[in-house]
Amino acid sequence: MKALAFLTRTRGRHRLDWTDWLSYAYLVLGLFLMFGPVLWLTMSSFKTEAALSEFPPRLLPYGQKVVAVPGEEGLKPVFKVKLPDGSVRELPEIRRIGLMATHVDPAKPDEPIRVRLEDREPVREFKLATENYTDLLGKFKFGLYLWNSLFITVVATALTLLFNSMAAFALSKYRFKGRNAVFLLVIGTLMVPPAIVLVPNFLVISELGLLNSLWGVIWPAVATPTGVFLLRQYMLTIPDELLDAARMDHASEWRIYWRIVMPLSAPALAVLAIFSVMWRWNDFLWPLIVLSRSEQFTLQLALNSFQGDLVTQWNYLLAMTVITLLPVTLVFAFLQKYITQGIASAGVK
Amino acid sequence: MASLSLKQVVKDFGPTRVIHGVDLTVDKGEFTVFVGPSGCGKSTLLRLICGLEDASSGDIEIDGQRVNHLRAADRELAMVFQSYALYPHMTVFQNMAFGLENIGMARAEIERRVNDAAALLRLDTLLQRRPTQLSGGQRQRVAIGRAIVREPKIFLFDEPLSNLDAELRVSMRGEITSLHRRLSATMIYVTHDQVEAMTMADKIVVLRAGRIEQVGSPLHLYNHPANRFVAGFIGSPQMNFIDAQAGDAGTVALPFGGSLTVPHRASTGQAVVLGVRPEHLSLQAAPGALALPLEVSQVEQLGGLSLIYGQLPQGAGRVTVQVAGQVGVQLGERLTVFAQPATCHVFAADEAGLALSA
Repeated sequence: MKALAFLTRTRGRHRLDWTDWLSYAYLVLGLFLMFGPVLWLTMSSFKTEAALSEFPPRLLPYGQKVVAVPGEEGLKPVFKVKLPDGSVRELPEIRRIGLMATHVDPAKPDEPIRVRLEDREPVREFKLATENYTDLLGKFKFGLYLWNSLFITVVATALTLLFNSMAAFALSKYRFKGRNAVFLLVIGTLMVPPAIVLVPNFLVISELGLLNSLWGVIWPAVATPTGVFLLRQYMLTIPDELLDAARMDHASEWRIYWRIVMPLSAPALAVLAIFSVMWRWNDFLWPLIVLSRSEQFTLQLALNSFQGDLVTQWNYLLAMTVITLLPVTLVFAFLQKYITQGIASAGVK
Repeated sequence: MASLSLKQVVKDFGPTRVIHGVDLTVDKGEFTVFVGPSGCGKSTLLRLICGLEDASSGDIEIDGQRVNHLRAADRELAMVFQSYALYPHMTVFQNMAFGLENIGMARAEIERRVNDAAALLRLDTLLQRRPTQLSGGQRQRVAIGRAIVREPKIFLFDEPLSNLDAELRVSMRGEITSLHRRLSATMIYVTHDQVEAMTMADKIVVLRAGRIEQVGSPLHLYNHPANRFVAGFIGSPQMNFIDAQAGDAGTVALPFGGSLTVPHRASTGQAVVLGVRPEHLSLQAAPGALALPLEVSQVEQLGGLSLIYGQLPQGAGRVTVQVAGQVGVQLGERLTVFAQPATCHVFAADEAGLALSA
């Protein structure tokens, strides 16, 4: 109740003030700009190929109505037919030869009606072309691409968390010569544009024989300066006395890291995990370079391969786009509260 | 239970020397308190003993064995930290069991020890709680329990009561001393609070700027302070210091006239400081007593006792007088307070302020 009162609060006491109109107009515009394309994409992914090329375009997916006719195989398309007696009826077509089509009334299948093409119009109805999605599963090696994407995302995220937290632990909790220099170096790499390290990275991966291997995508992504920075700032807030207490408790340095520092860094780790999942799942350029055989394609690469030089199968492309968007959307929807929490407490303002 | 001895222990942090050659012996089963103002090096000394810091030079011996090269864990000591340092993501049980798990102790033995310690500290019903769900005093007891289950040679306490409110501090003070009696363990306790030091210690070590000023039993320090710093630090309210001059034949002359006979070792004419505790000043005149004329500047009535603050004539300083019961003294009133010569201390007026009472 309180939340509702808050959300519907206006500046004007009894009727809307002009600022209310303005802010609502702005919000509606924003909503339209942000969600319009997403809505359009989702709707379009349920259209048949024919419906996609239709002009003028419609928001909702429509398809031609079909019915079963006794004595005929499969479903037959329904047309609005103008009969010789001037009446208009919806009848399924059973065959079409040249300019003439043969229709039949399903109730009286023995009385075919011959109609000229210009005397009829297809009947459209709201229809989801779910075959866009179901075909994907069989037609393309969708399962394989999904597995590749999942494997890269999960393994790279786990390794990112492990290696970045180890670096952050050393940089935040150990006093050694050159600690600040190392940290500045790590932060400094943030300023190097990724495009510049693309070629050197490729050479390294190629020499290591990791081309066309999922590990070739995973390893270069594991060390992220952002992750080290985020985790280090968070770990600085863990009191040193806790570590001293653990040392008195016979804990080895590894055990201190694993049993004390890691659990206490959970909020920052959650943030980094979300980032890493998004980065790896949406990654396109680097996998495109490393993976050239279709058995290793990620979803993003498979998506790209739908767009051929001559023919683009838009219905499949759109359906697949929706599928690739889903995981990140879900991750974000469920974990976004940790992002704000973690970022706020990591001292990154 | 073990003894500890420090021999010429020195600690440098870079170019700064924080511990200047400390020599100290702690006997088996003794309750030793390190006391001193903030930054005097008492916590550093404790961290040197437990091995969280390495001594720059000197020897640290436990039961006669040199332990400088041993890691903190292998010295078989247990420490209670100022912030308690409880692991926030573990339950009370896990907090207490963590150190035992790390040395690979059998599960049954761990449970026995934790349950024993919990019973001793009245934590039995709280074992499955997390530290954030506990009150300050309970957290304190968990921290002590974590030390007990280890059955250490020496217990180290680093200002364990400073985060508690005054009332809880008094009761925890009693609990720690009774724990000491029951376990008859060697304990070293760091505090900046001289009341804690006086009430708990078998032996007090007064530290200043990385040096030991005096070691002794609480009453010895109170009755025979080695220098002006110890005299001022032990006892509350603080001892009054009055600049004076030594006369011959054991007399001390005050700048505003008057003198008294206190046996001392100062040479004639030497500048000295006369020290007298507020509780040794009295409003009743007595033969041979030191008489101090005061102009009352403030009166604090505590009911059971009263504190009178007054200025000496000729700007010779401020004096605090503690008298039993309630007084009818008014602000600005002039009165004279008296002190028996036997309760007066004589210190050198130089930096070191060594005691010169004979």
